[in-house]
Amino acid sequence: MEKNSFLKPRTMSAVKDFVCVLPALIFLAVFTYYPICKLIQISFTDWNLVSDTWNYVGFKNWVWLFNGSGTKHLLNSLRVTVLYSIGELTITLVGGMIFALIFNRLNKTFSIMRAIVFMPKYVAMSSAAVIFLWILNTDTGILNYFLKILGLPAVDWLGNRNTALISVLMLTGWRAIGYGMMIYLSAMIGISKDYYEAASLDGATAAQSFFKITLPMLSPTTLFLFVTTFISSMKVFQSVDILTSGGPYRSTEVFVYTIYKYAMEDFRMDRASVIAIAFFVMLLVVTASTFKISNSSVHYDS
Amino acid sequence: MSKTNSQLERQVAAKRKKKIVLCVQYTLAIIVTLIVVFPLYWMISSSVKSQEEILLLTPTLWPHEIHLENYTNVFNRVNFGKYYYNTIVMTAGILGSQIITGVFAAYGFSKGKFKGQNACFIFVLGALMIPLQVTFIPIYIMCANWGMTDSFLGLILPECVSPYYIFMLRQTFMAIDDSYIDAAKVDGLGRIGIITKILTPMCKSTLFTTTLVTFTNGWNSYFWPKIIAKNEHRRVLTVGLAQLKNTFAGQATMNNHEIMAGAVMAILPVVIMFFVFQKYMLTGYSKAAMK
Amino acid sequence: MKKILAVVLAAAMGTSLLAGCSGGGSTGTGGAAAQQTQAAGGSSGGEAQGGTEAPAADASMYEVTEPITIQWWHALEDQYSQTVEEVVKGFNESQDLITVEPVYIGSYSQLNEALVAAHAAGTGLPAITVTNTPYVAEYGAGGLTEVLDPYIQASGYDVEDFGAGMLQAGQYDNKQVCLPFLISTQVVYYNKDMADELGVTVPEKWADMDEFLEKVSIVNNGTTERYGSIVPGWDQWYFETVFLNDGVKLVNDDMTSTDLDSQAAVDLVYKYKEWCDKGWIYWANGTDASSIMRQNFIDGKAFSVFHTSSLYNTYVDRCDFEVGMAWLPGGETTKNQEIGGSMLLIPSKNDQATKNAGWQFLMYLCGKDVNMKWAKETGYMPTRNSVLKTEEGVKFLEEKPAFQCIFDNLDLIKPRISHPGWNQMVTIWMNYLAEIMIEDVDIPSKIEDMVEEINEVLEDA
Repeated sequence: MEKNSFLKPRTMSAVKDFVCVLPALIFLAVFTYYPICKLIQISFTDWNLVSDTWNYVGFKNWVWLFNGSGTKHLLNSLRVTVLYSIGELTITLVGGMIFALIFNRLNKTFSIMRAIVFMPKYVAMSSAAVIFLWILNTDTGILNYFLKILGLPAVDWLGNRNTALISVLMLTGWRAIGYGMMIYLSAMIGISKDYYEAASLDGATAAQSFFKITLPMLSPTTLFLFVTTFISSMKVFQSVDILTSGGPYRSTEVFVYTIYKYAMEDFRMDRASVIAIAFFVMLLVVTASTFKISNSSVHYDS
Repeated sequence: MSKTNSQLERQVAAKRKKKIVLCVQYTLAIIVTLIVVFPLYWMISSSVKSQEEILLLTPTLWPHEIHLENYTNVFNRVNFGKYYYNTIVMTAGILGSQIITGVFAAYGFSKGKFKGQNACFIFVLGALMIPLQVTFIPIYIMCANWGMTDSFLGLILPECVSPYYIFMLRQTFMAIDDSYIDAAKVDGLGRIGIITKILTPMCKSTLFTTTLVTFTNGWNSYFWPKIIAKNEHRRVLTVGLAQLKNTFAGQATMNNHEIMAGAVMAILPVVIMFFVFQKYMLTGYSKAAMK
Repeated sequence: MKKILAVVLAAAMGTSLLAGCSGGGSTGTGGAAAQQTQAAGGSSGGEAQGGTEAPAADASMYEVTEPITIQWWHALEDQYSQTVEEVVKGFNESQDLITVEPVYIGSYSQLNEALVAAHAAGTGLPAITVTNTPYVAEYGAGGLTEVLDPYIQASGYDVEDFGAGMLQAGQYDNKQVCLPFLISTQVVYYNKDMADELGVTVPEKWADMDEFLEKVSIVNNGTTERYGSIVPGWDQWYFETVFLNDGVKLVNDDMTSTDLDSQAAVDLVYKYKEWCDKGWIYWANGTDASSIMRQNFIDGKAFSVFHTSSLYNTYVDRCDFEVGMAWLPGGETTKNQEIGGSMLLIPSKNDQATKNAGWQFLMYLCGKDVNMKWAKETGYMPTRNSVLKTEEGVKFLEEKPAFQCIFDNLDLIKPRISHPGWNQMVTIWMNYLAEIMIEDVDIPSKIEDMVEEINEVLEDA
């Protein structure tokens, strides 16, 4: 009896603690884990949203994706997505670092300018995209007007295979670069001044101390930016959707857009599901490998 | 004598060098700032131009006349008021449910004790790896089967729980010493009491900054609302704005002045928030970076 | 509260998982209703079928007896909003039972997405909606549309007055699933002032296009100052009849393959490409293509454009020169055109009361008075024989003389190609054509890829 009444409150407490996390667990189960299983199931059917019935068709969709007319589009999406990711990474990491160096000064003017450069991050992507749509307009856009002043020919920014992705990157870059800068700046402030003083006593130039002190000390930050930007850039959708709708002729059709197009425009849930699974696997591989890199090659100071 | 002279010269040279560096830095910074701010300026300036002016082959940097009626035009002809309402309700719903589920789950994972706690936490972290962009097809079908298309429930439900939010809060709660909790328990506080009276007040700033990030994410979300709410009645701002170019497409050739007016209205709330809470917003992101 | 919700969700998840695993099933409404429908053997909305198969002409079944508010989805952009408002107001005031709410959904393709989504969900459907002509077959095959024949019989609605081709365009499998609402066809708009100045007319035969384009285009050192014509590369509707008139079938008789790799089709592609390279025509493609095309025409930087007759009033309003409208140049033997614009349909998953109300509104919208209002205020065509072939038509032409070319050729306006995979096919087609026209690519290999992809879509649909 005594033992029982002693145990009971503890069990009760554990149950209550568990109940605290239960809603979150259930939601994640229903809206995150279950859909993955369902996705796999759909990939073996011929599910088309327009028709009311569906059947299992075995590996038909998988064959379509990996050894059929879908392969070409899979590879195309892969190529476009990777190109886009490289672009966004370069802008965020390199551009952010350069901006951080430019704006690394503590006074009122600079703090205002920093806020302005950071602000685009808060402009909704859809608003930013319609602004850029207008700026990039071939005939009446201001960017082509600036080119004309410089004596350059007008560019059909969004209608041309070579410039469409660059246009999308311009938009992303505009929003991302200030963010990269801020992250780098807040990390730079944390680097002890002693390092630099010691270096300048040793007669190191500014460039030397940047490469020997600043960069290595910022490597955890760089890694953080790299991992988060890489993963989020793989999931790009909005900017592509509004600016180019994947066009011209699929040259900006990133992974998520491809999935979206098959699912919500053609209503081919079956094909969309196989691509979604392929995309998911790729995300896992990317994530796993970035973490692997992070464990081996980063300089941790503190 | 000569020694001090050369020293002085060197100092002067160093000072001059510093000045040059400062000058260069200022010029660069100003140029960069102007470039970055230009699209926003161009949006505002275009939004008050007349249609004739917007079609000029030599664009005018400063509008000749101010046409504020562009704003009223957009507001009247497109359901902008409705878009605002939908966006506000959706964002509030997401925010509310994420905070509630997040705070409780974070408590359970940091201060609670039950069997399988670690496994459950890994379950939550694992969800970070599965984005909506992968799972939207089954979720969409589920929501459709439950009759949730074009409804607030459909807009909010899949975003009810944020593993990121849980993770951030758990980290913060962990940093709070258990003695506070024990003392509260002695005082007879239950779990809800501990969460609302002890933990939340102690982590106000983290809670606030994380919530700000969640707010902007909700306000700016596009992918899911576009899929689930196709009907005008439940369209949110971001999707409605992207549609403006279609709505006006047939009418004339270029309606960019009105589209820009729409864009200004869409981003205003978040930009105002940005200036009011600037400090918190920055720390919100850098905290995430420091984790 | 939340816990209860969570439990409900978990339960729902469990059941749908089970349902999903039982092999094959319904994509439609989850829960008992859908299962029953299926058990009853109805593949496309059991109720609807029951209604249509019942011995017709029991008029009372289709009467509206109680006040009801219904939604009408449309894709009529801002410039039509005034007309939409007036038309809806006219209906709401004409009787007291039905109140119609017009809802603008977006472009035709967005409307298609919304409609199919709502159909799959089984909720949130409008009582009546417009749809673009090429979707009729897809909807008919998928059971999305209510079969209208019993309604027509019950209410004695005179459908024979519609132009035959227009009526046929709304049929799937010999059943009337849509009725013509706002009908347009492809035309060439040209700058009449310029034409008079140059002394040219839009050719009647495709074979004369070379000469025509050379005359009207101005190209200086490789840069075009004035395009002979602009082709809307964003919608195949504007060039598909050129292929059809050239003897290309697009979808072969076996319904599972395309003949876009036939000699005729390939030659046509090369012809277009040649004109693009010479700078005589502009292949408009991309997000802003439509407005770029129109702006070029308005600014006098293009002699002509291929577009839809429905935009006649817009063009006339926006251009400060006289706008001419011509029939598209024909092939060797035919100069057929196709029906474009929108049809009206009633989604099959609505309840009967909603369908009945939708039918009342449909009759009103397709009615002659409303149709003539659209025809006068926009560029859409009259749909009624009693207008087209009578005194009224003459009067209409007096007001809009440019429509003479359409009235002359009314019988040549044919229904669209109907195939459930049509929309997927044309997306592929347009993408490849745009790439061929705009970039420097190996044309034969691109055509080969395209045909392979299209065939696969057609087979699978």
